[in-house]
Amino acid sequence: MATKTTKVRNDGPVNEPDYLNVTKGLKSWLVTLDHKRIGLMYLYGILISLIVGGAFALLVRMELFLPGKTIVDQDTYNKFFTLHGAVMVFLVIIPGIPAALGNIMMPIQLGAPDVAFPKLNLTSFYLWVIGAIMLVVTIPFGGLDTGWTLYTPYSLESKTAVLIATMGVFVLGFSSIFTGLNFLVTIHKFRPQGMGWFQMPLNVWAIYATAIMQVLATPVLGITVLLLSVERFAHIGIFDPTRGGDPVLFQHFFWFYSHPAVYIMIIPAMGVISELISTFSRKPLFGYRFVAYSSVSLALLSFLVWGHHMFVSGQSRLANMVFSALTFSVGIPSAIKVFNWVATLYKGDIRLKTPMLYALSFLIIFTIGGLTGLFLGILSVDVHLHDTYFVVAHFHYVMMGSTLVAFLGALHYWWPKFTGRMYNEQLGKLCAWGVALGFNLTFLPQFVMGSRGMPRRYWDYDAQYTIFHQLSTIGAFVLGISMFTVVVYLMMSWKTGKRAPRNPWGGSSLEWQAPTPPPLYNFEKPPVIHELYNYDDLVEVEEDVWERRAPVDAEPSEVPGDAHAHAKPEAQKKAEADAKAEGDHPEEPTAHPRITPTSEDETKPEHVPGSEDLETKPGRPVATAVEPPDENKEGDK
Amino acid sequence: MSEKAHAASGDDHGHGHGHGDVSPFIQHHYDDAQHQFDSGKFGIWLFLAQEVLFFSALFVAYVLYRYHHPEIYSYAHKYLDVKMGAINTAVLIFSSLTAAWAVRCAQLNQKKGLILCIAVTLGCAMTFLVVKYFEYTHKVHEHILFGRYYDPCVSSGGAELLTKNNNCPGEKTTIEWDYGTAKPTSGCFAAVAIDLDPRAEGIQAQCEVSELAGSIQRDKDNKETFVEKARKPITAQCVDPILEVSTPAGSMPAAGEAAAAKPVYPCWRPAVQPAVCRDGWYFAWRCTGPLCDAESGGDGPYDSLNKCNDARRTMDGKLKSQGTPWIGDCSMGQGAGILVEYNDHAHRPSSSVRIAATCKGPPAPTPVADPLADKAHQLKLGDKGIKPAVTYDKHTQKDRESMGPPPDNTGMFFTIYFAMTGLHGIHVLFGVFVFIWLLIRAVKGHFTPDYFGPIDFAALYWHIVDLIWIFLFPLLYLIH
Repeated sequence: MATKTTKVRNDGPVNEPDYLNVTKGLKSWLVTLDHKRIGLMYLYGILISLIVGGAFALLVRMELFLPGKTIVDQDTYNKFFTLHGAVMVFLVIIPGIPAALGNIMMPIQLGAPDVAFPKLNLTSFYLWVIGAIMLVVTIPFGGLDTGWTLYTPYSLESKTAVLIATMGVFVLGFSSIFTGLNFLVTIHKFRPQGMGWFQMPLNVWAIYATAIMQVLATPVLGITVLLLSVERFAHIGIFDPTRGGDPVLFQHFFWFYSHPAVYIMIIPAMGVISELISTFSRKPLFGYRFVAYSSVSLALLSFLVWGHHMFVSGQSRLANMVFSALTFSVGIPSAIKVFNWVATLYKGDIRLKTPMLYALSFLIIFTIGGLTGLFLGILSVDVHLHDTYFVVAHFHYVMMGSTLVAFLGALHYWWPKFTGRMYNEQLGKLCAWGVALGFNLTFLPQFVMGSRGMPRRYWDYDAQYTIFHQLSTIGAFVLGISMFTVVVYLMMSWKTGKRAPRNPWGGSSLEWQAPTPPPLYNFEKPPVIHELYNYDDLVEVEEDVWERRAPVDAEPSEVPGDAHAHAKPEAQKKAEADAKAEGDHPEEPTAHPRITPTSEDETKPEHVPGSEDLETKPGRPVATAVEPPDENKEGDK
Repeated sequence: MSEKAHAASGDDHGHGHGHGDVSPFIQHHYDDAQHQFDSGKFGIWLFLAQEVLFFSALFVAYVLYRYHHPEIYSYAHKYLDVKMGAINTAVLIFSSLTAAWAVRCAQLNQKKGLILCIAVTLGCAMTFLVVKYFEYTHKVHEHILFGRYYDPCVSSGGAELLTKNNNCPGEKTTIEWDYGTAKPTSGCFAAVAIDLDPRAEGIQAQCEVSELAGSIQRDKDNKETFVEKARKPITAQCVDPILEVSTPAGSMPAAGEAAAAKPVYPCWRPAVQPAVCRDGWYFAWRCTGPLCDAESGGDGPYDSLNKCNDARRTMDGKLKSQGTPWIGDCSMGQGAGILVEYNDHAHRPSSSVRIAATCKGPPAPTPVADPLADKAHQLKLGDKGIKPAVTYDKHTQKDRESMGPPPDNTGMFFTIYFAMTGLHGIHVLFGVFVFIWLLIRAVKGHFTPDYFGPIDFAALYWHIVDLIWIFLFPLLYLIH
């Protein structure tokens, strides 16, 4: 790969080729190791899965429009809601923000050239593809009617393609584990010098917390579905009560993963929202450290509350009480986040761009979703609400309303950066409203009918629930049409959108210093680390074009930066290494001299590279100055 | 700088990069060799954490089932061969040493030592798998398997015994009844014994089966009497009639017939296959012990007569027209059958059993003059239809006798055993591939003090595989 790209570099024009056109052809995408390309392929896969899962959701809602049979019979209905759940959970919202958008943006936000293990990253993607295919081929092989939770003993008896689905989930699990592992190593080892843990953008913090859960929780799901698969074809009896096994053990194992999985979905969404709210309020995020800590504490707490899914499964009263109490403790970090977001909005310079609309609707939806979660954490209330539409509405408020809305917000926020195109802002705003209203119309009535006793997963219902189901179905179509429109206009923007500038929103994190779209190794020069979430010197020079105009007194000193060490000419590297060979200790920060901080005065002007840098690798030339104006670059991009 | 001293001390290495002797295996998105090594090391530790969690569910299952059923564990662990387990433990611990040594050799640039260490580790991994292969095949041979396949033979003496599956000698007084298929799934019992009530311990009835030659004669009231001409005892298994009478041919009956079918308690009767009992012949059996609740009802000895392959007759010898519903009417000729809802009143869940009977038309009018002259019907154990007994190691058989009958669900122990050791074995197998790959690269001379990450990471992986085994060995083999 290195030689190939060097060639491009040598022929290169003044403008670096960006990652989209640095190499061409289908094969260059299929074997790419570039995190942005892999992320983009993930994004396409996820959008396709979203359409599939959404289609099943609409079919479910259509069936429930009237009591009794509306369009399909009971068995088909069971398959619809199962496939809706399985596709949406395993293929869309778990990988949605981390694997797709996180893959594209997290290394850039870190100022890193790529993730730590690019080949592993590509492997994860192909595992995702294999798992996705296995989940989808259950449809011709008899579908799946166990619910996405695959509870035993029914999943041992079901005549549908449970085995294919569980093996698919197993493979998807390893995709998720490897992604998390990759991100953890990247965040630990690829932070540039000058970016401490508390100079990381909150999105990176959120992805870090997510990755911990991906690595530590997913293996338990892996072994669980593996045992379920073996149980199905070899009848080992571990979950089968007629052979001495314990079906509730399956539930424990399943929720030991799947509760953290809920946080794997929501924490990256929270990270995105932190970015959006700060940028579009032009204010530093209130209580940065608290928000960062709350992500990690949510991740840790998520391992301790799985039992609240099983209050009525016959576990001991003591266990119920402990799990209930621990469940309430989850409210603390969640509330910290919400309060800090609201405090950030307070007196902020709020601009209601499309991503911000999504962020604001996230705030409302997540608050409702979180508070209704407390209802379900109360033991006595849960007995009444368990397995009703109240639960359905609650988890859709968190998993769909919060996570997917944040996903859409993030997609709109970073779309110009990684595609180089602006989307249609009017349509964007319209659809953001459509999503918010359609979502609430779909799921608010479900709280009402759930509290009145409508059980979840039922094909038929009493006539008293008809009006709520009909409102819900109408809302689902508003939501579905809005989201489909989003996909359509985003895809059209590849062709028709106007060229995006380097920094269309006035964001302060590192990705907005990278060219639009970024080159192969993300930065044409080492990015300059400014104070996090400081918007004071960002100026909107024309609509949707922001630039950093450093105030005279706060001008960061001229720092050559010793740049990405491996981007330097070998001779220069050698000289440097010689200079500091003695006493060099790997634990010293200078061991990884990728990026030089500018905010402090501990600068080390070791070299001033000039035009002789032509031999360096593409996309990673060495900087000569801190922050040259970029007008010319943006002009012809 | 003292390159080697640094390297040997562990993680602190790789400064050669700055001096120009860069390993070609340093990927270009890393700053230097040290950066690549550190990233890989952190990555492998995370992977190992993942591995621990991956196994953790099985350890939880072990603890849970042990807590609930200690008797299973203390009974079943005696089946495991401590000697083989101990050999494997020693082999793995030694291979961990050589794996760690390989890292040191790579750090000190000792190519021969590196190759030797990797080769020895690889050999140990393969040895482990070979030992495991012998353990597994032994268990497969003796039916010491997971879940419902746990079906070892426990002999009560010198007699040749059969299991209900007809595939091992021995006897077991507790018979496991599979509600799903309504078949006994494990356990051995004497060839001529039948178990009328598998829910109760022990065997409740004896069954003698004879092959008869004779004919049915009707008197003027159309009442049937069988005129016996010859009788020969045959050795046949006594099994559930509903399931064993069925033959593969036949078609499904109309829905109405199926609905009309009444549940029939599974009476025991000999499973006389067409190969045993010839067309046109009859067989008779006599059961002692409590009766099944067939229409005749009542207790006491129970004689019955049936015609070989005559689907019109019910198990107690009556004609279909007189009423028992489980065999189709043969007046249609070939392929009658009926679906029976198997839903008795003896606490068993209902299930559907498809009964298909092949009708071969009216029986041959004239029986063979002297059936006993036909030596082909001198059936004994090992003949077709009654499968041969597998040979059985006398020594093990004696051990089994001293163990007594197994507790219920003993198969659960072996579920856990095979799940844990199987998953561990897969990890060892993966390790074999990794060490083959490392061996090839070591021979090619890829590893230098500057670049030995793969060796280090594989060694760490190997240590965790070893560590897991160190937990498995006492938990499964040693603890009583």
